[in-house]
Amino acid sequence: MSTGAGFPIALSLRVAALAVALIGPPGLALAWLQARRRYPGRTLVDALVLLPLVLPPTVVGYFLVVLFGRRGPIGRALEALFDARVVFTPAAAVIASAVVALPLLVKTAQPAIEAVPDELEEVGRSLGLGPASLFARVTLPAAWQGVTAAMVLAFARAVGEFGATLMFAGNVPGRTNTMPLELYAAWQAGDDARALLYVGVLSALSLAVVLLAPRLAPRAGAA
Amino acid sequence: MGSGARGDSERPITLAAAASLRSALPDLVKAFQDASGRPSIQVSYGASDALRKQVEAGAPIDAVLFAAPDDVDALIAEGLADASTRRVIATNRLVLIGPRDGPALRFATLGSLPAAARVAIGDPRSVPAGRYAEHALRALGSWEALAPRFVFGADVAGVLAIVRRGEADAGVVYETDARGIPDVRVLDRATGAWAPHVELVAAVIPGNGGAEAARRFLDFVVSPRGRAGLAEHGFGPPADAAP
Repeated sequence: MSTGAGFPIALSLRVAALAVALIGPPGLALAWLQARRRYPGRTLVDALVLLPLVLPPTVVGYFLVVLFGRRGPIGRALEALFDARVVFTPAAAVIASAVVALPLLVKTAQPAIEAVPDELEEVGRSLGLGPASLFARVTLPAAWQGVTAAMVLAFARAVGEFGATLMFAGNVPGRTNTMPLELYAAWQAGDDARALLYVGVLSALSLAVVLLAPRLAPRAGAA
Repeated sequence: MGSGARGDSERPITLAAAASLRSALPDLVKAFQDASGRPSIQVSYGASDALRKQVEAGAPIDAVLFAAPDDVDALIAEGLADASTRRVIATNRLVLIGPRDGPALRFATLGSLPAAARVAIGDPRSVPAGRYAEHALRALGSWEALAPRFVFGADVAGVLAIVRRGEADAGVVYETDARGIPDVRVLDRATGAWAPHVELVAAVIPGNGGAEAARRFLDFVVSPRGRAGLAEHGFGPPADAAP
């Protein structure tokens, strides 16, 4: 039953990286949509994107268990089709982190994309670029600082996810015991040395992020 | 019981009790209040380790009633609990539970569960029920094989929640916790040489103003009337009082 002290660190970084990879493409597409298009229901989409940031993570966890649980609609379908279970797996940890990190990704990337001059995209369009390559070759390079900041902030939020992860991915030693969960378990068990290790790693990581992100965010007039 | 001074009888007392006592204790508290005229007893429920930490941190708790001896003995060793008031108040038993529609399992056959199956237990690092479960499964020789299948609950209630929803195929809780839970069924009871002796142990924490009243409450808990109240909720008598 020994999972080394290093395992939760590696697991947390892996889970957060996969979560950001999972929400990266749809999140940036959403940020572009909200930055560039006016359409009916745009305000509603804005609110829905922001929701996981405001909702208590335990509420997010509850929704995820209800949807992906063995008696939930998605969970039942996955088990019937692929004989796959989601709850209490590392995949659940990735999904929980992805959901809570999405608002930070979209809301940080959106102003960076808005700051890219329309004319730049016009030129690209006049050269015959489709929407996908226009985004990849014109918008993204011009907004790379803000988009990177969005990724970094989303990654940090994903690393720190606790409430939804505990409910949805559980504390499965060697599989889903991410740093925040292990920190809480170590504290409950009175293992202060182990708790302090994760306090240190998580604090250092967060400090690095808050120092790094503002340097990347677009300054007024910089674009 | 109850020959001591009643000087502090108006002061409310606070008990810290194992989550497994949540069913039985309210009736005992009420019976004691009716008998003694004591106005106010507050009970804080939780995992024994967490409650122990609250006592160590100086929480105004007058008595602890824990699911295992070790946390009480730690408090005695630290000089926080009064050794002369330590008593075994009841015994309990581990059971294997599963969701209503789940497979029929036994403690001895848990090791044969498929790799994707999940077994919910309390975190052995902080939950006595989890330590008892580890004890039992080690004695059965299936602990190592089951290790990748465990999901840890933060207390017994967490284990029940996981099994009730069918997210784990089995879970280990106390017999008293599984009573009256509609969505789970008891698959097996821990009996035999490998089964741990689950003892609930109580002691008074002096220095918070309610020590004398707390001692009288513990006297009441181990009195025939208190034992009957515990038995109603499925607890066994302490070993020294067994028929």
